[in-house]
Order: sequence, then structure tokens, then C-alpha cells
Amino acid sequence: MAEISTQVRLCGFGGQGVILAGTMLGYAGINDEKWVAGSNSYGAAARGGTCRADVIISDKPISFPHVVEVDVLIAMSQKAYDVYIKNVETGAGIVIYDEQMVSPKEISGLKQIGIPATNAAIRELNSKQVVNIVILSSAVEITKIVNRDALISAIEENVPERFKALNLEAVELGFKLGK
Amino acid sequence: MTRDLEQYLRPGLVTAFCPGCGDGILLGLILRAIDELKINIDDMLFVSGIGCAGWIPSPNFNADTLHTLHGRTIPFATGAKMFNPKLQVMIISGDGDLADIGGNHLIHGARRNIDLTVILVNNFLYGMTGGQVACTTPMGAFTMTTTEGNPYRPFDLPKLVDAAGATYVARYSVTQPLALISSIKKAVQIKGFSFIEVLSPCPIQFGRRNQLGTPIDMIKFLMDKCIMKEEAEGLSPEELEGKIITGEFSDGRN
Amino acid sequence: MKSILSPGSYYFSGDEAIAEGAIAARCGYFAGYPITPASEIVERISIRFKETGGVFIQMEDEIASICSIIGASWAGARAMTATSGPGFSLMQEGVGHAVMTETPIVIIDVQRAGPGLGQATRPASGDIMQARWGSHSDRQIIALCPWSVQEAYDQTIDAFNLAEKYRVPVILLTDEAVGHLREKMDIREDVDIFNRTKKPGAAPFGTEEDDGVPPMPTFGEREKLLVTSSTHNDYGIRKTDDPLVQAKLVSRLYSKIMNNREKIIDYDSCYMEDAEVVVVCYGFTARSALFAIEKLRGEGKKVGMFRLKTMWPFPDRLIRDIGSRAKKILVPEMNKGQVVEEVMKYASCDAILYSQTNGEDIHPNAIIEQLRRLV
Repeated sequence: MAEISTQVRLCGFGGQGVILAGTMLGYAGINDEKWVAGSNSYGAAARGGTCRADVIISDKPISFPHVVEVDVLIAMSQKAYDVYIKNVETGAGIVIYDEQMVSPKEISGLKQIGIPATNAAIRELNSKQVVNIVILSSAVEITKIVNRDALISAIEENVPERFKALNLEAVELGFKLGK
Repeated sequence: MTRDLEQYLRPGLVTAFCPGCGDGILLGLILRAIDELKINIDDMLFVSGIGCAGWIPSPNFNADTLHTLHGRTIPFATGAKMFNPKLQVMIISGDGDLADIGGNHLIHGARRNIDLTVILVNNFLYGMTGGQVACTTPMGAFTMTTTEGNPYRPFDLPKLVDAAGATYVARYSVTQPLALISSIKKAVQIKGFSFIEVLSPCPIQFGRRNQLGTPIDMIKFLMDKCIMKEEAEGLSPEELEGKIITGEFSDGRN
Repeated sequence: MKSILSPGSYYFSGDEAIAEGAIAARCGYFAGYPITPASEIVERISIRFKETGGVFIQMEDEIASICSIIGASWAGARAMTATSGPGFSLMQEGVGHAVMTETPIVIIDVQRAGPGLGQATRPASGDIMQARWGSHSDRQIIALCPWSVQEAYDQTIDAFNLAEKYRVPVILLTDEAVGHLREKMDIREDVDIFNRTKKPGAAPFGTEEDDGVPPMPTFGEREKLLVTSSTHNDYGIRKTDDPLVQAKLVSRLYSKIMNNREKIIDYDSCYMEDAEVVVVCYGFTARSALFAIEKLRGEGKKVGMFRLKTMWPFPDRLIRDIGSRAKKILVPEMNKGQVVEEVMKYASCDAILYSQTNGEDIHPNAIIEQLRRLV
């Protein structure tokens, strides 16, 4: 991407791992030697309601650390998509959604890409737990917000040992789906 | 051995207790227990709260003392003991301080069972502030704020603290000095939360309002009311009416 | 001293950074009670202390928490608690006690929208005056105000050092927006640690030294300490009827902070050389202010920023100086004007409040709009 600052919003419902995916993206940004800032839903929303994780990745220090206009929206549920689609900047923004969870609206001039993240995760990894990492890595593949290696090492460094292998497989699956 | 306990007193001070107050007796009994245990008072920390009893250690004891906010002796002591477990921590404070305003900390202290020795001085009301009702005032007793008699029941503090989980729980009166000295020694030695309720006469604030106006009257009143637990076991409910049972209620072995 | 966490970059929340800052500062005792939005500090400390050897205890309430850290501080600990508005209110008597007994403690206040229970998960800056005056009677404390995750970490370390140096409670006045913000932050190799001054046998509550800070002994050092927050002489003996002792003590507690304020006060400024309108700001709001100022500077507008990193003691001389050079001062605040009134005391130019108390952080556009009117 040409911009020096990219505003990413991951969204879904609580329990899908939206916040964890946001944290992994944040660490990937740091591995890429970028400035990173983010925030996410807190309290009850993070546990069950509509949930979001924002990450700003920038080449220079970030003065205002909250998302103002979404450059990349990663949507894991219909409800979250409906809430946050209006924050995407038409023309410049891009939406990446889970095909099994979201039916996108027709919006002219807005680039929206479906990824069969849930289906692929169940079929190839026999796990719904890592759909978050599958769709995140597809988005990385499509948008190049961070380098692929930066995301892989973020997961290697920050995911607990017993989930690491599965998450690394999920990353590779996501890259493949995003090609 | 006269004046042999003076070595434990901070030099140059004059006692602030009223004539007939039991706190002076208790001060002596605590120091006697420490002396008999042969503990170096420099290894002890005395934590006291607000009220007459808080003045027993602070400033009188020639050792580390921490005079705290009203009701909060146990949290202050918890911090000091948790950070430096080598300190032998003794809390000395009144019924109003430890059981009224500090009641929540008292039960939580007992629940945590941290190695603290708590000596609660019960004079049946708030002495220092002018004789107002406390959670320990007997039902019907007269105080500055219950001029027609206290309408509420007092706490049975050993039962409360025992139920909350303390390792050692006892109640004695200053009129039972030898038993009290041995109880204090035991409380200090036991690891875990040790609690002694000490009944202490307050002729000025409690006695005057309850037909016990002289120090002698109050001492006699306590001697008459207090009955050892072992003795009480053989008595009928009618015979126990109005008596205060003293002794050990949890001896640290359960 | 060496940092405890390996040096490098981390993606921490403000709350996590505060917990790590405390650990880096060799905090040895933490007592707290969970409250949104400060609970993550309590949680992280409880886990991390198992690795670093600190003493953690969750108390029955905030009153017990602050009392217990005062006890631990006298037992030799670098001690801390963390809370938010309602809990900070409960702690106030303890803060006064720590001021009067000159006990070094650190209190983290992750401010949320109030009054009352307010909005537990929403930011505000409503505790500025509570930090200054929250307990009865006169008191001097030190309060710091971080604007980023990095600074939350750095200032937590500063808070411990200032507390030990000046024997005073230090309050880190952060807010939910910083507490829950995640950012890249760097852990450096080394940490500066100031250890409390010891002088065996010296008076623990009085000094003739210029800085006004007596040495601080610890329980168990055979000093036969008398610690009381009743009015006391240099050795801790209660003197509750002596006007001279009271006057001397209260004056020293006041002046040991005020006379050293030039050394204590830290601030940040940019675009100030030719600024006609200066935004005086602090905490998360300063992030929005910087964004707004950079945007207007891009349009050639003469706007500048002065950021309060130290809230208390207040930088009276610096504000006086800004007031003599600028035409106007704008103070954006997530309260009804707690800092603008301080600015008005010292600035000779107009000081204008932009207040927002809806439980949301102030958006840069709101500040841009205000500045356009003033420039």
C-alpha cells in the first residue's frame, strides 16, 4: 500500500478471537519496524457482543492513536459488518470478509473480497478456533499491510506453545486463500 | 522485679489514661508477656488504631510503632508483615476501632490467617470521643448516644472471629491477669491470626453512666460478670444469664 | 539497574505497561482491589510478581489496599496500588495519612467518567482536583499524567523514584483511553532507581537540610520508630496541642514539594517559538491536540502545544511565561475545566476551555474547530 499509515479494523462477535488477531497484527507491525497503535472493545462486548480490534500501522509516530477512517475492514460476522461498513472510506478502503459469515452489501466503488475462511479452517485444519488467524493472514496477503514473515514471527513469539503449530498452519492457509 | 518492665517503655513520657482505666493494667500485662517470652522488643512492630487503647503501644512502647487511621490497623499490619515476615507484629486497639469501623478488616484478617496478634480492648463503648455507643455496648446500657439504653445487641467477638477462621481466639478480662498473660504469650507464639478480646474497665465513660462510677465498682463488675469457659460448661442457661464467658475458644490446634 | 523484561519493542496496553513499569522500578509490594478500567494492572502484577518475587495481595477494598501499602512501605517496600475514580475516592484518607507520615507510595488512578459510578469503561479527566485536594486539609502530592503507553511505563518508574526521593505519595493520573490503548513501546536495557535516603539515628520527621526531606528508616532497623499521622515532632512524638509543631510540620510538608518544584516538573512542548495560540493539554487529550496542531501548522497557522507531564505541582512559572507571549491559550479537557482554572491563575492572556464530558475522548476535529476560531 502506498499510504504511510494504514488503519485496520477487525470485527466480529465476542469469542471469535478478534482481539487476539488484532494483537498479532500489532506485533507483526512492530516486527516490521513500524509504529503501531490500537484499541479494542472492552468489557461485555469483548465477551459476547459485537467486537472490534483496531490497529494503526504507520511509518512515523502516531499522534492520534484511534481509527478515524477505516482503510482495511476485516469482518467475521454479519452484525459487525453492518455496524462498521459505514466507517470504510469508499474508493480508498478495502473490505475483507468471511464468506460463510457475511453477505456483503452492494456498494459501488468499494472493493470487497470474500474469503472462505470458516469453511477452509474446518475442512483443512479441522478447527473453527483459528478462523481469526486465517482471515487475518488472507488480509495481509491481499493488502500487504505487514510482511508475511512479520506475521509469522508475531505468532511464533506470542501464541502459547500448545496452540502454536495450529496457528502457524492457519497463517499459511490464509496466505493461500488470499492469493 | 519492681519496675523491671520500664526497660520496654519509651523514656520521658507521662501516661494519658484516665484514673481507673484498664489500659494501664493491660499495658503492663502485655509487657510482662513479652518479657517472659524473652522476645527482643526491637524485633516487634506494634500497630495501633484510633482510641484510648491505641495509645497503649504508641507512644509508650520503646519499639517500632505504627499509629494508623481509624479502623485500619489490620490492613496496615498486613502490608508490613507480608513484606517483612520477620517482624513480630502485634495489633493493639479498641473495640470501636477494630470491630465497628474496622469490622470488615477484622473478619478478612481472620480469614486470611496471616501471622498477626490482635489484642482488642473492649471497654463497651467509645471512650476517647466521649462515651458513645459501640458494637460491643451491652443491650440496654447507657451511653452518650443511647440515653434511653442501647436498643441493639452487641457482637460476640470471639464467635465472629472464630467463624471467620482465626487460628487462636480467646477472651479475658484485665481482672484475670495471670490467665491473660499466658493467653498473650500463646497468641504471640502461634503462627496465624491470633485474637484476644480483653475486657477493660472505663469508669469515666461507661461506669459513670451505668451505676458503676468508681474504678472499684467497674473492677468488681467485671470480676462478677466474667466466668471461665470450663466453669460455664456446668451451668444452666438461667445461671449463665448476664455472664461473660472467658477463656480460649480456638486454641490454635484445629 | 538492569531492566527485568528483556529490552525490545512490545505491543502493550497502557495498563500492562504500568504493571511492567512498576516491576522495572523494583516495586516489591502491591495491594489492590479490582475496578474497571484498572483491573488489568492488578491482574498482570499478580501473575508477574510470581516470577519477580514481589508480594501481591488482593485486599477487601480500596481503603485496605492503600493502608496496606503504607504499612509495607514502612517495612521497606517500594509499594503501589492501582484503582479508578470510585476506589480513589475511598483511598483519600489514606493519601492524607501518607502525606502526614511522609510515606513513599505510588497510586495509579486510571480515570473513568463520573461522578458516582459514571461510565466504568469510558475515559475522563475528572480526578485532577481530587488528586490535588482529595483528602481533608492542606496537602502536597506529586501527580504525573502520561499521554502514551510508553510514557505510562516511563512515568510509573518516575513515580517510584519521586515518591522515595520526596517521601510523598505520587499519583499516576492516567485515564481509560491510555489504560486500554495498545501501542508499540520500548523497554530499555537499564532503569534508573532512586533508593530512599538512610541516616541511622537521625530524626525521621524533621530536617534542617534545604530539600526539606528527612531520611527514612524502616521497621526492624532498631530505630524505635513512632509513625503517626497525628501532629508530631521531628521524632514522631504526638504534639496535638502545640501550635508551633503543627505550623512547622505542615509548612515543611508543603514546601518540600513546592520549593523543589522546578526539579520535579516535567513537560513537553512543540511549535512554541512563534505560537500565537497555545494548546495547554495533558493525558490522552494531548494526542488529539498534537494531531490538530500538526494539521493547522500544515496550513501555516501559528499554533503550539504545551503538555503537562507533571500535573502537580503545577508549572506556574512556565504557564506565566506562555501567557506573556501567546495571545490565547486553549485548554481541552475531559472534565468541566479543572486545569483551565489553574492556567487562568497564572496566564495573563485569555485561557479558553474546551470541555467534553460525554465519556468519549476528544476527537482531533473538535480541537481543530476550536483552534480555527481562535487563530
